Amino acid sequence: MLKTLNSPTMYLICGAIVLFVAGVSVFFMVRAWRAGIAIGMDKTKMKRTITASATFSVLPSLGILLGVIALSGALGTPLPWLRLSVIGALHYETQVAEAAAEAAGLSGLSVSEMTPRAFVTIAFLMAVCIMWGMVFSVFFNKKYLKKLSAGGAKTAKAGGFGDAAMTAMFIGLVSAYIGSYIGSFVSEKGLFTFSGSWIPLLVAAVSAVVMALFIWIEEKKKAEWVEGFALAASMLAGMAAAAIAAAL
Amino acid sequence: MEEKKIILTEEEKAKNFEAYNDRTHVIGRVVCIITLILLTGVPFVMGAFLGAMPDFKAVGRGFLSIGIVYFVSCIAEFLVYTPMLGAGGTYLAFITGNLINMKIPCAMNARDIVGAKTGTAENEIISTLSIATSSLVTILVLAAGVALLIPLQPILQNPALQPAFDQVVPALFGAMAYKYYRKNIGTAVWPLLVMSILFMLVPSLTGSTSFMIIPSGAIAILIAWMKYKKS
Repeated sequence: MLKTLNSPTMYLICGAIVLFVAGVSVFFMVRAWRAGIAIGMDKTKMKRTITASATFSVLPSLGILLGVIALSGALGTPLPWLRLSVIGALHYETQVAEAAAEAAGLSGLSVSEMTPRAFVTIAFLMAVCIMWGMVFSVFFNKKYLKKLSAGGAKTAKAGGFGDAAMTAMFIGLVSAYIGSYIGSFVSEKGLFTFSGSWIPLLVAAVSAVVMALFIWIEEKKKAEWVEGFALAASMLAGMAAAAIAAAL
Repeated sequence: MEEKKIILTEEEKAKNFEAYNDRTHVIGRVVCIITLILLTGVPFVMGAFLGAMPDFKAVGRGFLSIGIVYFVSCIAEFLVYTPMLGAGGTYLAFITGNLINMKIPCAMNARDIVGAKTGTAENEIISTLSIATSSLVTILVLAAGVALLIPLQPILQNPALQPAFDQVVPALFGAMAYKYYRKNIGTAVWPLLVMSILFMLVPSLTGSTSFMIIPSGAIAILIAWMKYKKS
C-alpha cells in the first residue's frame, strides 16, 4: 500500500498543486512589490522584509518537514507534502489525520491497516476540516476589512488605537503560549506538583535571552542588520538548548 | 546612468493603493476558490488512481467529531488574523497555512523591522511580501526535503535533534515575548498572569491553547484600551 501511495502519479498530482500555490505566492509578491513602488515605498525596506522573512522561515519550515516525515509513515509522502506545503498547519494535520483514520474505521493512523478507501476518506476529511479560513476569506475578507477601516477611521481621530490593539492581541497570543508552558510545568503531573516538562520554559527563556542580546547589540552598536537575523538565531539557540538539556 | 526618480503626490499614492487593494480582493477570491476546488478535488483524483472513493458516512462522522472544532477555530483565526495581515496577506496566509507557527510571527517581525503601522498601505505591502516570501521558503524547503528524503531522514530524525525540533514553537514565542513584553510590560503582565494561573488550575487546557488566545488577547486589548484612554 505504501508503495502505491508513494508512486510517481501521486507525486505528480500533489506536485501540480504545490506548483500552483508557489506560482500564486510569486504573483502576490511581484504585485505587492510593484504596488510598493507605485505608492513610493522605500525599496530597501521591502528588500529587508524579504530577507528577514526568508531567514526567519527556514527553521519553522524544517519543523514542518519533520511533520511530513512523521505522517509519511502511514500516509505516504505525497499527501503530507501537499497538505503541509499548502494549507495545513503542523499541529492540525497530525491531529486531524489521526481522528480521520479513526472515523474511517482504522484503529489509528497506521500503514498496516491502510486501504485505498480509508486513505481517500482521510485525505478528503483533512481537506474539509481545514479549509474554512479560505472559505471565510472568500466571503467576508473584504467586508470585514472595510468595517474595520471604517471603525479605524473613527478611532484614528483620537490618535489611532488600531496599532496598539494589534500589538496587544499579539501579546495575548504569546502570553497564552507562555502561560501554557508555565501551567504544564506546575500542574501537568498533578496540581501544583512542579514536576511537568520544564523544557519548553527553558527553551523560551534561552531564546528570550538571546533575543535580548541581539536587541542590545542592535541598539548600542547601531547594527541594524542584526534585526533581520535576530529571530531566527534566537530560535536556533533555544532549540539547541533543548537538544543539550535532553542529552544531559 | 542615474536612475530617474518619480515623485508622487499623496493623492496619486492613495489612488494607486486603492486600485491595488480592489484588485487584491478580486484576485484573492478567485485564487482561494481555485485552491479550494483543487484541494477538495485531490482525494477524488487520487481515488480514481487508487480505485476507491471516500466513504462519506465516515467523513460526516469525522467532521462532527473533529471538524467542528476546526471550524470554530477557523472563525477565531479569521477574525484575529485578518486585521493583522491585511487583505493580500490574509488570502495568501489562509491558502498556504501554518499561521500561528510561522506566518503571523513572520509578518509581525517584518512589520517591526520596517516600522509599519496597522491599517496603512505600507503595512499591507509589507505583510503580503513577508507572507509570500515565507510561503515560498516553506515550499522550497519541503520540496527539497521531500526530494532528499532518503539521505535526510537519518539526520532530521536523529534522536539527538528530535528534542530541538519539538521545541520550535516555544523557541519562537520566547524570543517574540521578550521583544514585545519589554516595551509593553504593563499590558503583558495581566494576560500572562491570568493564563498561567488558568493553565495551572486546569492543565488539560494546554490541548486547546489556540482557543485560549482569544480570552488572553481580549484581556491584553482591554488593558491597552484602558491605558490608551488614560493617555
